[in-house]
Amino acid sequence: MNDIAAGLRPAVQSSRPKTAARVGIGGPVGSGKTALLEQLIPRFLRRGTDLAVITNDIATKEDAERVRRSGLIAPERVLAVETGACPHSAIREDPTLNMQSADELDRRYPGLELILIESGGDNLASSFSLDLVDHWLFVIDVAGGDDIPRKRGLGVMSCDLLVINKTDLAPYVRCDLPRMVREANEVRGARPVLLTNCQTGEGVDAIVDHIAREVLFDR
Amino acid sequence: MAEIDHAFALLQLGDSFFPSGAASFSWGLETLRAEGHIRRAADVEAFIAGQLRMRWASFDRAAVIAAYRVGTDLDALAEIDRHADAATLAREAREGGRRIGGALLKVHAEMGTAGAAAYRERVVAGEAPGQLVCIQGLAGAALGLGEVTTAALSAYGLAVGIVGAALRMGVLGHVDGQKILTRQRDIVAELAQAEPPSPDRLHAYTPMAEIAMMRHETGSGRLFAS
Repeated sequence: MNDIAAGLRPAVQSSRPKTAARVGIGGPVGSGKTALLEQLIPRFLRRGTDLAVITNDIATKEDAERVRRSGLIAPERVLAVETGACPHSAIREDPTLNMQSADELDRRYPGLELILIESGGDNLASSFSLDLVDHWLFVIDVAGGDDIPRKRGLGVMSCDLLVINKTDLAPYVRCDLPRMVREANEVRGARPVLLTNCQTGEGVDAIVDHIAREVLFDR
Repeated sequence: MAEIDHAFALLQLGDSFFPSGAASFSWGLETLRAEGHIRRAADVEAFIAGQLRMRWASFDRAAVIAAYRVGTDLDALAEIDRHADAATLAREAREGGRRIGGALLKVHAEMGTAGAAAYRERVVAGEAPGQLVCIQGLAGAALGLGEVTTAALSAYGLAVGIVGAALRMGVLGHVDGQKILTRQRDIVAELAQAEPPSPDRLHAYTPMAEIAMMRHETGSGRLFAS
């Protein structure tokens, strides 16, 4: 077969295993990771993305149950991983159980396009193994302190997309939001920072657009 | 294998940094702690010694050694694997053994350990359970670690997993943990003297831990997967 014909072969003949894109959502405790997930799910489903979710709860299955019971997604498409330790160890040092769950979802749902993997609430030094995810978001919030970006934590510095949530609370927690955003952009160089209010869904469309463009390649 | 090469491979596989998901499992300790049966370092030590004497010696070790001896005969390995799976009563122990075994097998397959990719195909196809003890034997044989060393790795993995879980639960301190591990060496050496039972005679008797794992299935406080 010549090169041109090879280029025209349908993708289904590719020898590369077809797996869904894996996107991690990490960040400190209470920053709004599950709330963001709840805002992302209906938006991806509306745009026709074949979706599944993995949650990493610390000591319960509360986050998994919250997403399962939300009515936003078929409950069997939500898997929970117990971490047995500080959550970052299950997404970075030893992400094998999360990878196993993602492989299981790929097997169970042929045609799956996107798996959102929510980490348990952790600290500013948490990050994802690049063997586990293709792309990852780090969610912080204004109430956690507007000095977080300039402290250059590993999560803030190395994530693909920094999300600053709970922007509506800024006036009530003495947060200088414009300065927080400016400092976030300064420490991250050209890499993106987006603002959300996950209670109302404000700003979430931009995150969906970002993932669609950078990870799903608008497929 | 050159001595230093052997030592390096052993250190790599025995290190809790080697990924297999094992840190997510407490093998009943989380429930025993929650229900007040495990309160201090001495209780953890007794739990580990019990696991070694009443489970590892006649079950894990026997399966690891049998798996080691069959080498690349994957049909024979699958037979041992099925025995190990069928003889594990508590669901969290059985599924935990499959999950960690599967994770370990995937890492070995990706590292190119001989036989791992082929055996993984069987596990993924549902033709073999992929129990941890069999994967430990397969990997040990493929890497030429020696039967005794591979069995010792399995004992160490069991003991250090429980010490690690207890440390994170706040039942003991880091030095206590090392003292406990040191004291298991004599027990393991003593247990390793006996010829292990054949794969169709695998047996364990750890009712308290097994009942704890059964209770754990529906327990509300779950940092661990068992």
